[in-house]
Amino acid sequence: MSGEELDLMALAQQVVKRTEELGAQEVSVSISRGSHVSIQRREGKVEQATEATTRGLVVSLLANDRYTSNATSDLRPEALDHFLKRCVDAARWLEPDPNRRLADRAATGRGVSEATLDQDDPTWRTRTASERGAWCESLESAVLARSGPDRISSSAWVGDGRSEAVRVLSNGFADRTAGAWFSIGADLTLAEGDKRPEGGAHYAARHLTDLPSVERISEEVVSRARERIGSRPIASGKYPMLLENRTAGRVLGLLAGPLSGSALHEGRSCLADRLGTRIASPLLDIVDDPTLPRGMASRPWDGDCLVARPRTVIEDGVLRTYYVGLYHSRKMGVEPTTAGRSNWVVRPGTRPYDQIAADLDRCIVVTSFLGGSSNAATGDFSFGIRGLLLEKGQVVQSLAEMNVTGNLLQLMEQLVEVGNDPWTFASTRSPSMLWQDVQFSGL
Amino acid sequence: MQPLTDPANPWAAFAPFGVDADLVRKVLAEATQNGADDADVYFEHSVSTGVGLSDGIVNRAHTSIDLGAGVRVVVGDQVGYAYTEDLSLEALVHAARTARTIASGSPHRTPPVFVERVAPTADHYPVQRLWSDVELDVRVPMIRDWEQRAFARDPRVHKVQTTLGDGDAWVLVARADGTVASDYRPMTQGAVWVTAAEGKVRETGSYNVAARADLAWYDQTRQRRMVEEAVDRALRALGAGSPPAGEMPVVLAAGSSGVLLHEAIGHGMEADFNRKNTSIYSTRLGRSIAPAEVTIVDDATLHGARGALNVDDEGSATQCTTLVREGILESYLHDRISARHYGVPSTGSGRRESFRHPVLPRMRATYMLPGKTPPAEIIKSVKNGLYAEVFGNGAVQIGAGDFSFFVRHGRLIEDGKLTRPVKDVNLIGNGPEVLAAIEMVGDDLVVDEGGWTCGKDGQSVPVSQGMPTVLVRKVSVGGGRA
Repeated sequence: MSGEELDLMALAQQVVKRTEELGAQEVSVSISRGSHVSIQRREGKVEQATEATTRGLVVSLLANDRYTSNATSDLRPEALDHFLKRCVDAARWLEPDPNRRLADRAATGRGVSEATLDQDDPTWRTRTASERGAWCESLESAVLARSGPDRISSSAWVGDGRSEAVRVLSNGFADRTAGAWFSIGADLTLAEGDKRPEGGAHYAARHLTDLPSVERISEEVVSRARERIGSRPIASGKYPMLLENRTAGRVLGLLAGPLSGSALHEGRSCLADRLGTRIASPLLDIVDDPTLPRGMASRPWDGDCLVARPRTVIEDGVLRTYYVGLYHSRKMGVEPTTAGRSNWVVRPGTRPYDQIAADLDRCIVVTSFLGGSSNAATGDFSFGIRGLLLEKGQVVQSLAEMNVTGNLLQLMEQLVEVGNDPWTFASTRSPSMLWQDVQFSGL
Repeated sequence: MQPLTDPANPWAAFAPFGVDADLVRKVLAEATQNGADDADVYFEHSVSTGVGLSDGIVNRAHTSIDLGAGVRVVVGDQVGYAYTEDLSLEALVHAARTARTIASGSPHRTPPVFVERVAPTADHYPVQRLWSDVELDVRVPMIRDWEQRAFARDPRVHKVQTTLGDGDAWVLVARADGTVASDYRPMTQGAVWVTAAEGKVRETGSYNVAARADLAWYDQTRQRRMVEEAVDRALRALGAGSPPAGEMPVVLAAGSSGVLLHEAIGHGMEADFNRKNTSIYSTRLGRSIAPAEVTIVDDATLHGARGALNVDDEGSATQCTTLVREGILESYLHDRISARHYGVPSTGSGRRESFRHPVLPRMRATYMLPGKTPPAEIIKSVKNGLYAEVFGNGAVQIGAGDFSFFVRHGRLIEDGKLTRPVKDVNLIGNGPEVLAAIEMVGDDLVVDEGGWTCGKDGQSVPVSQGMPTVLVRKVSVGGGRA
């Protein structure tokens, strides 16, 4: 435990005490402090370098059962005291909402040790400016080496940071957590008449050694830019849709809105009254796991400080849980689960992406989405896409200016295969996925 | 509370934090010790408040205070940036030393001497009262009234949520060349969300308004419109379906369809993309890209607009910049780095989300000037197509020029008449191709009053957008059936 961490905890305890003195009946305080560095290179030199140490305090309180939530970055003692007075005073104008009360102390706590979470890569503390610079330069050089004369522009970037946070509740809960992150990426723009097709790749991980090599990243960047050449729309119609592992998370993420307690309570969820029923193909199995070592969304406790634990969200296509935090659980008269999603671990299938693609006479591979939105109340969605038309696994056309449109509940039933290649660089660890009869619009 | 602005004394808002010319002189001397083509320190102090109503009670409020400064050192097109939430000399000097490392390998330049020169500040959002001086007891009855009016409008209204958020922000930018500029920036945003129910069908509708304005901006007409629009959108969605899929003529209704300009041309005209030659518009300056009826501006001077700016975040004077004049591409949007690169004056487009971010060229309030055709005539001219009325988010690929935007509510056009309501459909196209396919421009420009926010490189800034009714010959519509 460092001296700095002790200081944060002492300040949080002090803020809780002072806010109670000012008239609050319950208080929650979190204080975070972080450092981060980023470097971006273009045309053989550093284009931008940013470095900062940052901090912030959030205090939520109940005074006479009236709730306010407040944030400040001005931690000078006098300013902070003035801020706390203002926060407590603001409550008097509101109406009582006892559902905002804190959790019982017994329900709060840590679900996993910092050691098991393994988020705080010690490499971060010894990382030097020259190491960062050399890493970024090596990626830029690798992209340049693989590019041809049609390269217009390319850039490479690296970043890393570490944040620590303490959380103290007036019910006696007090804990802290810390984590580091590293990221690396590059992009490439090519010449194609007036158009400038572009491609890129970006990776993030909790530990430096979990990131791919610069060779692999540069290869991917060049290949993704090249595959955009000659892109155009094709005829509207229904096609099998193959999602790469990194892209599948975007579609699965559409489930999060209608699963939330707020959507259920407000009557704008297409998944209301579906608990225990089949909402997807039996191939779909999702576990929410905040305890996942090195997970990008791992955490020891949730937003209510309830103990973090793995939960099955969808089991063989059957809905097993909603995301109901303390507040909405009280409003809805149900037991709380957890207020928000953490890592989603999707059960992999048996075959790799290439094999799935090779077996299809024709399919559209969505490589990225461009804009679009969905409606949590109905499940209707419509997104712009970029992708590839494949025949027997071979690329026959690069696709652009097309939309994919449908209904979330129908789409989940249309899932016909899950790959064996989960993506590990994001909070959704999804393999590739194949969906049948999906509506695309183009020409 | 601090003064709104004091044109004669730009330091006034930050004097309570110990910020003065002497401190800035020391910080900039450190920042430029290795030499620099440009350097600045940007101070920001903001206080924001919000109240929210749900389930019939005004049950939450929030207050947020942000204070800090960013130091930037520019060498050619290279930028070193560091920031701190601590405004002490020691912390600022540390930030300056970090930022100046960008200049460590460059040929030595003579550090400029800071001689204060106060930059003029315009007054595009005059206010009479700070939001910090408005007690919550004024806001609470407002959002409750919105809720009650929503329920009273139709028995199918099932749930209502209302919010009012507002704030005061003071900024001060001091450059190594001695320029000192300050600004007071108010912002307010009110919103109504409605869930309507009919049988087992649930639909939502919302409406929000935003401006750089004070409390007086919420006149009765505006408040009534917020409620009525939110309710009517939810009700209209109850009976709405999906349009056919594929390419078809699209009539963009006046107002929020300005998101098309934002995505199809606005981002591509931000000069950083063109300086790097990565925008589809990089080689098209001076060329015709749209019919002669099309003139598009990006206007920082629009009175009280969410995207208005008195002075940009580099201390440059702002303006109304013409991007496209009568179909010809005329000007990019410049910050000081790109202006130096192109040898032109800055257009006052240097913006940042906060002191935690370096400056980028950004849009402010982007809109198309009105044409001459009445909107009814435009709709009548379409045999079969889509009338797109209410827009959500948009996105763009700068290099390819492909963009998309989401239509929350619209109607089919059949035989020149507006017919069945449609909803939740994405439109996608290529920027230059869609601009070239504009066939008619209405005489009814509306700058949307909604709270638009633009994202770029991880930074969000408030913007405005507007459009007259416009007919585009064909756009790909993400409908539900081929």
